[in-house]
Amino acid sequence: MSDLDEFKATYFDECSELLTELEEQFVAIEEGERDADRLNAVFRAIHSVKGGAGAFGFSGLVGFAHEYETLLDFVRNGKVELTDEVVALCIRANDIVSNFVDAARSGEERPDDYGAEEKALFVTLCSGEDDEVSGEPVEDEEFDIDFIPVTVDLESQGGDSRAGWLVEFAPHRELYSRANDPLLLLREMAEIGEIDVKIILAEIPALADFEPFAVYCTWEIFISGENVDEEKIREVFEFVEGDCDLKINAHETNAADDGADEDEDMDGEDFPSFADLAAEIKPKEPAKSQVVKPVTPEGDEGKAAGPVGVQSIRVDLDKVDRVVNMVGELVITQSMLNQQMDENLKAHYQELVRGLEVLAQTTRGLQDSVMAIRAQPVKSVFSRMPRLVRELASKTEKKIKLEMVGENTEIDKTIIEQLSDPLTHMIRNSADHGIESVEKRIASGKPELGTIRLSADQAGGSILIIVEDDGAGVNRERVMQVARDRGVVGEDQQLTDEQIDNLIFAPGFSTADAISDISGRGVGMDVVVSNIKKMGGSVNVRSWPGQGTRMTLRLPLTLAVLDVMLVKVADCPYVIPLSVIVETIQSSRAEFERLPSGDRVLQVRGEYVQTVDLATRFELSSEVPDDNRFVVLCESEGSSKVAVIVDAIIGQQQVVIKSLEENFESIDGVAGGTILGDGSVALILDVQGLRAVNKRRNAA
Amino acid sequence: MRVLTVDDSRTMLAMLHHTLSGAGYEVLQAEDGQKGLDVLKGETVDVVITDINMPVMDGIEFIKNVRASGAYQSLPILILTTETSQEKRDQGRAAGGTGWIVKPFDPEKLISVLQRVVH
Repeated sequence: MSDLDEFKATYFDECSELLTELEEQFVAIEEGERDADRLNAVFRAIHSVKGGAGAFGFSGLVGFAHEYETLLDFVRNGKVELTDEVVALCIRANDIVSNFVDAARSGEERPDDYGAEEKALFVTLCSGEDDEVSGEPVEDEEFDIDFIPVTVDLESQGGDSRAGWLVEFAPHRELYSRANDPLLLLREMAEIGEIDVKIILAEIPALADFEPFAVYCTWEIFISGENVDEEKIREVFEFVEGDCDLKINAHETNAADDGADEDEDMDGEDFPSFADLAAEIKPKEPAKSQVVKPVTPEGDEGKAAGPVGVQSIRVDLDKVDRVVNMVGELVITQSMLNQQMDENLKAHYQELVRGLEVLAQTTRGLQDSVMAIRAQPVKSVFSRMPRLVRELASKTEKKIKLEMVGENTEIDKTIIEQLSDPLTHMIRNSADHGIESVEKRIASGKPELGTIRLSADQAGGSILIIVEDDGAGVNRERVMQVARDRGVVGEDQQLTDEQIDNLIFAPGFSTADAISDISGRGVGMDVVVSNIKKMGGSVNVRSWPGQGTRMTLRLPLTLAVLDVMLVKVADCPYVIPLSVIVETIQSSRAEFERLPSGDRVLQVRGEYVQTVDLATRFELSSEVPDDNRFVVLCESEGSSKVAVIVDAIIGQQQVVIKSLEENFESIDGVAGGTILGDGSVALILDVQGLRAVNKRRNAA
Repeated sequence: MRVLTVDDSRTMLAMLHHTLSGAGYEVLQAEDGQKGLDVLKGETVDVVITDINMPVMDGIEFIKNVRASGAYQSLPILILTTETSQEKRDQGRAAGGTGWIVKPFDPEKLISVLQRVVH
């Protein structure tokens, strides 16, 4: 990757962040939060996008961002009122900027007139307030290094090539207070031509009257050379203009003689000549050292750690995954070692025990760090949703507010990237079909404003993304009708309410045209669902007529290490994710009741819970008497519970999830496999799956 | 020779870093004026290059603060900004800025401007 490509990559990364921030800021601005900080932040974001764009020559983007920035500048200075129309215009403008950036990223160019309409609006808005600015043509850009206008005396330039310029330079006190230094200016003069410098020390007072910060010295510099012109000389003094008296006069007489004469005079008066000195002061060869020192501002260790300039590196995900896998193996090896340490060994080799403890700790730390590399807050996807809801609300003429919870939940990067489509569809579904029109809501005694609640939460080995609305619930009759019409459900097939609810995500139920205007890609819901399944996730719909719908997107924390409880059934080890376990009960103390079907239900604090006997479920023969067995009460989706009956509880430990699909095939009720410390394989139970399977069996 | 670069744009920091370290300068970085001041508390630098528009503490405030501390009265500070409007530049200079660099900068120009203000 060339340097430029690398900078571009950094720039595009930064743009993504800036655009996300813009989006967030405008959500707040729309809600009426229009304080100066926010407006400044918005201005800065566009300013930064423009700055980088200029560096890479994305001229269309620069032109657009420039006008947009001007408007934002006017807005933050109160010269343009931030009306709802202006906010809407800004939101459109953000999209245009975003599209410009996307195009630039993929190496395309948007036509120069892209966004011309908005650009014209910016100009109009600004010109309404200030004619000067509107008069300024767009081309009058600030991206040329500008020079101070000079008047060049053509005659003198056309004269004797050995002629030169006499520069009289009298610094003011301010020149020093801004850390400029005449010596450096002389050095730079020496760069552009031959110089002869005379310092005038006549003003220096007696020591008693000497003021340390006063200015007493002035200079006369005679400069000659082929490339010397007034413009170049002015450029040297660019920074001190106004902080000094500067006279530049073309000098046509023989410069060398003049200079020499004056030199002699000076020498005669014992004034030092700076000519040699200035010639000697070549620009410093910068040190060869390439050492870059990291800066760690106090209280910001994490962020600034690492080499300066490399705040992020781009690493192939495969490479990270390889590390993740190896760390997984390391965890297993470490726990294997631990299990081999029996009491006898422990007593004899205390050093070894201590070493193993340290190893365990380090391994854990390593594991956390590796996982953290892949994890990102779900916020980056969530932040796009308020806008979607707004658009949907205005399109459907409903009143909808979006609540978001758990935006900081961290999810594996790969999953985050694939989350946008499903979320878009789920939210669209809620807004379109869930939330009722204002009239209907009032009629059914609900508040006018419908609510969609978007939440993210980590639950055991899964991430739950839940989209909940307080709308009418799934219209089961209509869904069944559509499903029958489209052949998704057979004519005579009878379905439970839950099954009907879930039909809305069934393959062939939704059509591409229904969603294409939102996703823009015409991806059907069934494709989205199958993508989720490919990631090892699932979608579940529950609906309560008249009260609302809850769509639960369950995604695996693929690479996560699970805290589990190790249990045994017929001498086979199984593990249950610790996070789903509510409590464990000795069988003898549990209150079972038998249903007419022969199945048992567990009664816990007045609640009846479905039971799943693992031995029966996995067709094993348990020889442990019923009373000596254990009940593991687990919580599955929502708040429903399942009582899993096992032979024995071994203990608690950490395991690395190994995908069953990749290595074998998917099995209902099993979330994956793992290798235990002694090298044996244990299956990780999927409680939700167990429950569903059991239901089906019961139904059969 | 050590340069402190202060800019909220990662792109700009990276490009400055590349140009400056390529020319043999040692580069320190800060993301806003406040962090710039923090750096100056613990490190000695020969020159500062700072952006104007930054969160927390903007470039103008930053320069004022640097100049206000006795130790840094003669530290050259270059303003790095796309704002060529005389107004911004004057503000920067009034605060005590030594000179300016216009974004996007030409690497050679950057180095030559630096040499105009550092020994």
